[in-house]
Amino acid sequence: MTADDVDDVGTYPDYIVINKPVNQRPLRGDVVRYVGAPIAAVAATDRYAAEDAVEALAATLEIDELSPVMTVEQATSDEAPLLYPEWGDNKVVDLVGDRPEVRAALDAAPHRFTETYVVQRQTPLPMETRGVVAEYRDGRLSVWVSHQSPHIARTTYAMLLGLREADVRVVCPRVGGGFGGKTHVYSEEIVVAHLAMKLGRPVRWIEDRAEHLVASVHARDQRHVVDVGYDDEGHIHAMRCHVICDVGSGEVFMAGTCPSLVSGGVMTGSYDFPNLEVSTTCVVTNKTPAGAYRGFGAPEGVFVMERVIERVARLVGKDPNDVRAPMILQQSQMPYTMPGGGRIDSGSHQQTFERVIELGTEALQRVQARFEDDPKVRVGVGYTNYVEPCVPTYFATTGHWAGYDAATIRIEPDGGATVAVGVAEIGQGMVVTTRMLAADALGMNLDDVAVVMGDTDRAPYGLGAWGSRGAVVMAGSVVKAAEVVLDKARVIAAHKLEAAAADVVLEDGAFTVRGSPGGTAVTWAEVATAGVIRTIELPKGLEGGLDAAATYEPYALEHFPDESGRIHAAATWSNAAHAAVVAVDLRSGHISIEEYFVVHDCGTIIHPNVVEGQIVGGVAQGIAGAMYENLPYDPETGQPQFASFMEYLVPTMSEIPPVQTEHFESPAPEMPLGIKGVGEAGTIGPPAAITNAVCFALADYHLDITETPVTPMTIRAAIRGSKDRT
Amino acid sequence: MTSDTTAENRRVPIRLRVNGSTESAAVPPRLLLSDFLREGLGLTGTHVGCEHGVCGACTVLIDGTAARSCLTLAVQADEADITTIEGLAEPDGTLSTVQQAFADHFSLQCGFCTAGFLMSIAGELEQGMTEPEIRELLSGNLCRCTGYQSIVEAAVELAGTREA
Ligand code: FES
Ligand code: FES
Repeated sequence: MTADDVDDVGTYPDYIVINKPVNQRPLRGDVVRYVGAPIAAVAATDRYAAEDAVEALAATLEIDELSPVMTVEQATSDEAPLLYPEWGDNKVVDLVGDRPEVRAALDAAPHRFTETYVVQRQTPLPMETRGVVAEYRDGRLSVWVSHQSPHIARTTYAMLLGLREADVRVVCPRVGGGFGGKTHVYSEEIVVAHLAMKLGRPVRWIEDRAEHLVASVHARDQRHVVDVGYDDEGHIHAMRCHVICDVGSGEVFMAGTCPSLVSGGVMTGSYDFPNLEVSTTCVVTNKTPAGAYRGFGAPEGVFVMERVIERVARLVGKDPNDVRAPMILQQSQMPYTMPGGGRIDSGSHQQTFERVIELGTEALQRVQARFEDDPKVRVGVGYTNYVEPCVPTYFATTGHWAGYDAATIRIEPDGGATVAVGVAEIGQGMVVTTRMLAADALGMNLDDVAVVMGDTDRAPYGLGAWGSRGAVVMAGSVVKAAEVVLDKARVIAAHKLEAAAADVVLEDGAFTVRGSPGGTAVTWAEVATAGVIRTIELPKGLEGGLDAAATYEPYALEHFPDESGRIHAAATWSNAAHAAVVAVDLRSGHISIEEYFVVHDCGTIIHPNVVEGQIVGGVAQGIAGAMYENLPYDPETGQPQFASFMEYLVPTMSEIPPVQTEHFESPAPEMPLGIKGVGEAGTIGPPAAITNAVCFALADYHLDITETPVTPMTIRAAIRGSKDRT
Repeated sequence: MTSDTTAENRRVPIRLRVNGSTESAAVPPRLLLSDFLREGLGLTGTHVGCEHGVCGACTVLIDGTAARSCLTLAVQADEADITTIEGLAEPDGTLSTVQQAFADHFSLQCGFCTAGFLMSIAGELEQGMTEPEIRELLSGNLCRCTGYQSIVEAAVELAGTREA
């Protein structure tokens, strides 16, 4: 099947109005823009035969090579070939910041520097690659897919394949990790479903790792050009920042442009820093499309902000934490509106910062003592503060979906409950979290609650797993639906207890009359049986049935920027401070993370193990970005220089140190139960904290790292460079 | 579309024990053991994360030793005794000590890597191993979710408390 065979399949919509349209087709025909773009599909009875056929087909392909555009410089040069000639340039997004007061503050600042910071390309890399099975039978399309957003996938499949949405079922069973990469609705899903419809038999496609590395989204790949004004005291007066993101070919749904807007929006994070002007440009190149990845722009922005702070500290001869301290947000400043419009609702920014300094200081001494006798090892500590935007609008990312989610609760005749929610499980613990919260809200035992998610036939329309939002929107909708069924259950119980409903309380799975301990009790099972089956037992006029549907959308969330481009795009904000203590071997350049601390605040904690797992796992991915993973391309040919885990270095147990966490709990004032998000937090801090620590360790060499990943090569080059200078 | 029908249609008879039961099959010489287990025997608990020997998700025990089923051909397993994740728990579903330790320590999130870790531990972990030794031992298994900490905790407990 090639591009011609999918003529009757729709083109992906370009919903985001600030983006130039890419008109993505499920299979690419005349112009192929990156290695990994799907151009043909082969169906066979087994994978080995299919791969033979692909090889044979590849040998017959006729390709005229065009000259590739592989870097930001190439993409923006005047002679650049254009990926989309109709655009007139290679910029898919170009937003120019205009804050005259920031420029005036810069001009007035006693000192200034400009610098370019670079964050490399990574990929989310779930251990389970993507996979799709589709079957078309009796006029219905069923798709089993490893995906983070089952309903969004369903809407997209129906739209492109010309089916009624009710005739499409999407099931996402036990997704083996996502980290953002599986929020996108990919071409392969459409092609497999289309093949299944054409062939009239089930079709399966399992992505292999080599395919995954070029065909699933990449991320990050940003450079920030900053202009910073400061004084001798180390006060940073103002900063202009131009975020330039290489989004690859751009042919992915939803587009990968939003993270770069988040970078500028959250970079000042935990700091009171009003004078920031951000411009954002996303360029297209002949690389795999960039998309969502855990952190979603925040790690890049925070890396730049923290490196700027460290540079200023060095220039004025201060401890970097003394530059941070006067800027750190105080509780009295809550809610605090950041320059980009994000309104931080609450947090413990100062407390987490102060606590992490205690931990880092003690650890530094321990590690210094450990390496005392080795003059060739240098030890350093690095810090970072940041906020994590939680429960964001999806409109900025998709141009179509917003911030909604939903739950239905059905009380079964035996007194158990089926709780179905629109969020999704991708390994982050959403099923256990939902069961725990629903059991609590319904006054039931954990074992009495069955949780349903990830099946569009059984769960209400919801937006799935992304944006550190699941716990909040799940809780918001589950609590509301639970109240409805509980109200009715109390009326039924009151009738049985011959009491007023207002006097009925639910404790330990039984309804009793308030203030009569040891008195008559009615169980959930009795209430449920009456409510659903033995409706003859109901009070006159009360209809049978014990179920409810509820939706939740944070009311203060903004979906559109105002005239000045400011937007309050996330409903609540977690915060954290990290400290990394590293030992750097001057001989080899080897960096070892000796100790790592996270002092974190995600509001009310529902399930401590789930929170711990999210933070520690997030830190591991942050370390991967700080020190290991990279996706380089040959600038001449456009060939990816990675095809396996031999080139894409995913850190193992030997590289990831133990991570010590501590928590503060600042409940979110406007969120259900005070819950905030935690899914992305851990990933945001390590690039900044580790880079800061390495530069501390190598202070004698005047190392000022501006680029990740920080590798032994970085260290050795810096040491050589400093020798050359002296 | 096939280029060399003779080679592709060739089948080699193999006989092996998998989780205690004897299996016979005629397999193409190029069939990977991981594919034979998953597709041929329907034992999909063995996961495939890279097929080039790095991630460890496909680890099974071959004659008691942890090995990568993606780097092994099914024909090489002729006469071998294979244990997969499906063979780890008791027949009545009671978890093995290794599995129970993972459950107790929250050592999995998405669970995709878990079978590989469990088989590596079941095959290679020795009593009294220190944490650095364990980290070395299990550095051939990738996990993208947990940051490894909870896995190390489970393994350390096993190295200290598991009966030899
Ligand atoms: S699938 Fe065998 S090592 Fe990765
Ligand atoms: S638990 Fe998801 S890869 Fe290990």
